[in-house]
Amino acid sequence: MITPLETTLLGIMMMVIMLGMGASMTWRDFMLAFRKPRGIIVGLTSQFLVMPALGFALAMALGLPPAMAVGLILIACMPGGTTSNIFAYFSKGVLALSIMMTTASTMVAVVMVPILLTFYSGLAGIGAEFVIPAGNVAQVLVVLLVPTALGMVLRKVNPNIGATVELIGSLMGVVVILFLIVTWVPRNYQMLLDTGAPFYVATIGIGLAGMLFGYWFARTLRQDPNRARTISLETGIQNGPLAVLVITLSFTGEMQQDVLFIPVLYSLFIVLSSTLVTIWYRRNATREELARDAAKVRN
Amino acid sequence: MTSPEWERRPWLAAYGKDIEARLPEPRYASLAEMAHTACTRYADRTAFTCVVPNGMNGSLTYAQVNEMSDAFAAFLRIDCDLDPGDRVAVQLPNTLPYPVVALGVLKAGCVLVNTNPLYTRSEMRHQFTDAEVKVLVIVDIFANKLADVIPDSGIERVVLAGVPEFFPRVPEFIVRTVQKVWTRALPPIPDLPIPVTRIRAALAAGRAHKADAQQWWQGLERRNLALLQYTGGTTGVAKGAMLSHGAMLANIDQVLAMGRAYMDRETCVLTALPLYHIFAFTANFLAFFDIGARNVMIPSPRPVQNLQRAIENYPITWITGVNTLFNALTNEEWFTAHPPRHLVAAIAGGTALHAAVARRWQEVTGKPVAEGYGLTECAPVVSFNPMGAESRPGSIGVPVPGTDIALVDDDDAPVDPGQPGELIVKGPQNMDGYWRRPEDTDSTLRNGWVYTGDVAVMDEEGYLHIVDRKKDLVLVSGFNVYPNEIEDALAKLDAVLEAAVVGIPDEKTGEAVRAYVVPNPDHAGDPLTRDAVIKHCRTLLASYKVPRSVIIRDELPKSPIGKILRKDLKAEVRREFETA
Repeated sequence: MITPLETTLLGIMMMVIMLGMGASMTWRDFMLAFRKPRGIIVGLTSQFLVMPALGFALAMALGLPPAMAVGLILIACMPGGTTSNIFAYFSKGVLALSIMMTTASTMVAVVMVPILLTFYSGLAGIGAEFVIPAGNVAQVLVVLLVPTALGMVLRKVNPNIGATVELIGSLMGVVVILFLIVTWVPRNYQMLLDTGAPFYVATIGIGLAGMLFGYWFARTLRQDPNRARTISLETGIQNGPLAVLVITLSFTGEMQQDVLFIPVLYSLFIVLSSTLVTIWYRRNATREELARDAAKVRN
Repeated sequence: MTSPEWERRPWLAAYGKDIEARLPEPRYASLAEMAHTACTRYADRTAFTCVVPNGMNGSLTYAQVNEMSDAFAAFLRIDCDLDPGDRVAVQLPNTLPYPVVALGVLKAGCVLVNTNPLYTRSEMRHQFTDAEVKVLVIVDIFANKLADVIPDSGIERVVLAGVPEFFPRVPEFIVRTVQKVWTRALPPIPDLPIPVTRIRAALAAGRAHKADAQQWWQGLERRNLALLQYTGGTTGVAKGAMLSHGAMLANIDQVLAMGRAYMDRETCVLTALPLYHIFAFTANFLAFFDIGARNVMIPSPRPVQNLQRAIENYPITWITGVNTLFNALTNEEWFTAHPPRHLVAAIAGGTALHAAVARRWQEVTGKPVAEGYGLTECAPVVSFNPMGAESRPGSIGVPVPGTDIALVDDDDAPVDPGQPGELIVKGPQNMDGYWRRPEDTDSTLRNGWVYTGDVAVMDEEGYLHIVDRKKDLVLVSGFNVYPNEIEDALAKLDAVLEAAVVGIPDEKTGEAVRAYVVPNPDHAGDPLTRDAVIKHCRTLLASYKVPRSVIIRDELPKSPIGKILRKDLKAEVRREFETA
């Protein structure tokens, strides 16, 4: 059980993250992203059409109990996480595209997540007691968009403060995951030990499947390898902490703990799997760079 | 030397009402006096703003620059025990320490040796020993080169400055932490046999003397040496062009004569070209400093995305650049969607501005690029397009006030009007010669004329057109082919981002044209092919000028200011045909 104090803390941290994300861009960046929207449309499609379907399919295929299924579907419906920007940077991806995808998916999420949740929960035949009120999700997202806008204003008023807030925001992205691990894992380690393989397959699989699909989909639509890698990370990395926040606001007690299971595990494992994928992507990016250099020498 | 045609000075008519044909009476005896006067007059205004890619920035006012450069002068004269005329090498990117240190050196009555921070160890050693440098100011990210350079160089002291130096504390800390931890750009400082001081400590030491810096520059005269500006890496070793205070001050006046009508108190100039290069040093740094403008400095303009925050956040009115920079900017979506709103003028130099690039720039920004021409030996500006006049694509404009030019053939005889000849220049901005190289001086500086090595033609109204470098000519079956013309034709092809042309040996024609082309990544149509290039050239060029060989590349070799280095491509060709 996450205490109200922890829920508040989590909420504040999320706001700082979103403030940082807003501060990382200007209104012009934002408008620009929509002038050439192919990358973003590709990203949004894999984010909101494919990921939720994947989550649903995984939940069904593994026969997860309702509480876990809700958690998995919720994670699959979430917008892109802000940590994806850090991974995009380290994998030598297209940082601007990553930030824009995160922002765009967070905005679209206000409308899409409630619809998707209602649709897939219904499809999965999940009992009313496990249904997350659509209003809750929308509310949380709207609240988070306020600091994003504020961040953009800060950047405009004073670039030094803006860039500083941006940095604090991305550091907070890591802190919040550590926070989740520290507050949740020790209380539930027994549960972790008792958990069967299907749950681990679900939590780790959803992220990896998203990355795999994102890459394939982007390449199919003629995005270059660098953009494809960025879209891949963006698709696979969901906003886990946001899911946790939504759950703590919607459920209490034992039930909360059960629903939280997959989102928290996801947040933990996605850091590990993204790190590995990032190392691999970075190696590919470097190899491509070297190949380009070599081509220049040999002509 | 000159024939009556040249003495007529047909270009004077092009000056119009904006440009005074006579240079004003000299206002200052030295650059130090100019700087001191500007700093006193514009004390509270922002002089320099340095912007790093994420938008973090720091600024110095004119008063701060004055106080800090005085302190640095005191550090040099007292703590380093330098004498007037001693050489100080400055190896800094466009950062706030640059103006402080450069003006400090000049106020100390010492000679500034601008040095490219990207120089290799052997290039550094050559330049420092040749100039007999006593003090070196270097950016800390390249401090690792010092271990190999300092011993036996004669350098007595090193001063280190950082990229975020003099930023507000928090951004400075963040940029430095990012450099240290994230990009690993900060190498450890090697153990050196001489003292190493950080710039802040040097300034503190200088301040402690409470000395009046005026005592060191008051006696300077216009004939005294101000800069040793190294040049000519294209032909063997780099030579130091000796530029006096008078030459620099004259060139400032000449630049201002051409542009003054378009500069006001709100002038804000974007400095993406490196200040250690003479074009940015005279035009961006000195001329705009003289009129109290604000200078927005970019430490590293590549990738060109690094300019985005600076262009968004400041009301840029002037941009100076080279062909490559304008080309790169007009290929950036963020730039074309939101070109700088306050832009008054863009000026290009350094290398030929391609007509296609100039046209695209005007379409995007609504302002023409005024192309100019210069060389290190002339401090550097020789000619410029008058800003008020209709733009003339391909012309480097008319000689700046006070400058005489002539076009001569190989026998030193003036060519007929309209004929190509080597451009020679005489003016108050001319160098005094190359540092300790009398033979090189004699071959370049004859009877007060600087021989530029550039072939030009002049039209009836006195506008100059550079045809090409004398030594870059490609001789195809006895016809002169000028690489610039072919490159210009290639740049008109949408699928081409940039191009360079050199000669290759050819059995039948002696030499043939080879084109190196870089495909434009944003081009949506068919991919660039050799055949498409040749077909395109056939429509624009006489057959002997059409490239015989086309090589498609991702990138061309470039100098730090973005000049395409034909000499590197020529070297490649030499290797290729030696082994063949």
